[in-house]
Amino acid sequence: MDVNLYALLTYALTAAISLLVIGVIVVINKLMNRSKSQDSD
Amino acid sequence: MDVLAQIFPGIATLFMTDPILGAVRVGLTILGFVLAYFGFKGKLEPLIMVPMGLGMIAVNCGVLFLDGGTTGTLIIDPLVSETDDLMTAIQVNFLQPIYNFMFSNNLIACLVFMGIGARSEISFLLARPWTCIIIAIFAELGTFVTLALGVDFFGLDPASAASVAIIGGADGPMVLFGTLMMKPELFVSVSIIAYLYLSLTYAGYPYIIKAMVPKKYRGIDIEFDMPQVSQKAKFVFIVVVCLLLCLLLPVAAPLMLSFFLGMAVKEAKIMPYQELLEGGITSFSSLFLGLVLGCLCEASTILNPTVGIILVLGILALAISAVGGIAGGWVMYFVGKKTGKSFNPAVGIAGISCMPTTTKLAQHAVEEENPFAIVIPIAMGCNISGVIVSAIAAGVFVATIGLVL
Repeated sequence: MDVNLYALLTYALTAAISLLVIGVIVVINKLMNRSKSQDSD
Repeated sequence: MDVLAQIFPGIATLFMTDPILGAVRVGLTILGFVLAYFGFKGKLEPLIMVPMGLGMIAVNCGVLFLDGGTTGTLIIDPLVSETDDLMTAIQVNFLQPIYNFMFSNNLIACLVFMGIGARSEISFLLARPWTCIIIAIFAELGTFVTLALGVDFFGLDPASAASVAIIGGADGPMVLFGTLMMKPELFVSVSIIAYLYLSLTYAGYPYIIKAMVPKKYRGIDIEFDMPQVSQKAKFVFIVVVCLLLCLLLPVAAPLMLSFFLGMAVKEAKIMPYQELLEGGITSFSSLFLGLVLGCLCEASTILNPTVGIILVLGILALAISAVGGIAGGWVMYFVGKKTGKSFNPAVGIAGISCMPTTTKLAQHAVEEENPFAIVIPIAMGCNISGVIVSAIAAGVFVATIGLVL
């Protein structure tokens, strides 16, 4: 594989995994906040 | 004359060996003094630079004649590989066990990472999670551009170029890890240059911030609500993200485990472990990291034709990452204008994972123009995102570099 294409693809893969990780964190945060507010109700 | 040479081998070897080697030894001794002095003055990171400077001085002055007319030291021999020679070296050279049992297997990088994890606060990331991660992705630009430059313009093979390119992530343990996994032959030169440059970022990055962010924008305050995240939620994030990253990038699992273990210990409030990680382990690993890197700066090791290329590419990687981070800051500034959420482009520098240096730099740059502006929580969020993104980038390289070989 050409190195420029490789650099581009690995950058895109790094970005995708990073966004996935942060997405998981945001979803868990929302779920836990929801269960917390239900508990307090 | 021979008697004098036997009494003072450190001086005699300067004149009785290759004159270039002698001159480099003198140069490295002076450089060691300069690094230790600037570390002492606080201009460079003292935790690394003081032991590193002294190590450089000792290894370049303490050269003696060995069996068979060769020269060497009783400190460390990074190039020994044969089992019998290695056993002899471990019994003779005082830092050899540390090098072979802690550096060659990444243990030192993992210990440093545990310490970083124990000092990281994940709730900063939750103040503006998408902003932080996008800036960190931009701030990784230097890594990927340097990889392409290294192969296209400097003639390096992809594994060597990728090892040097990881310097762009500005994360010391990641550089040690990536180089050992992809190009162990370059470990010594790449890690020394990386740590030298990382300590220079504190002096160089403010100029890049000033060049890319005009004065009136540097003072913008960032409005944000610090989220109230429960201890339980933070612990669950840590466990789930560790699981996810180990699953996606098994080659980087030791580093991920170390980082998230540090964070988990902090959130679980296991005080004896937290004290051990923040105090003992961090101090121990920083001391021996600096000392061993300094002792690896021996003239014969440094006289490698690729060192010049690594010097150029290393600084390019860090500079491009800084430009990328601030460009990310500008993107978030313009996005914020549309959505009504203010953002200071100078905070983009904190996307570079040199923690906590780039957070401090962002706050200083903002504070100079607006003493009432506090950007540390957002900058810290970007910084933690930077650590996560650079770990992912290193893991992606290690897992996929074979595709381009």
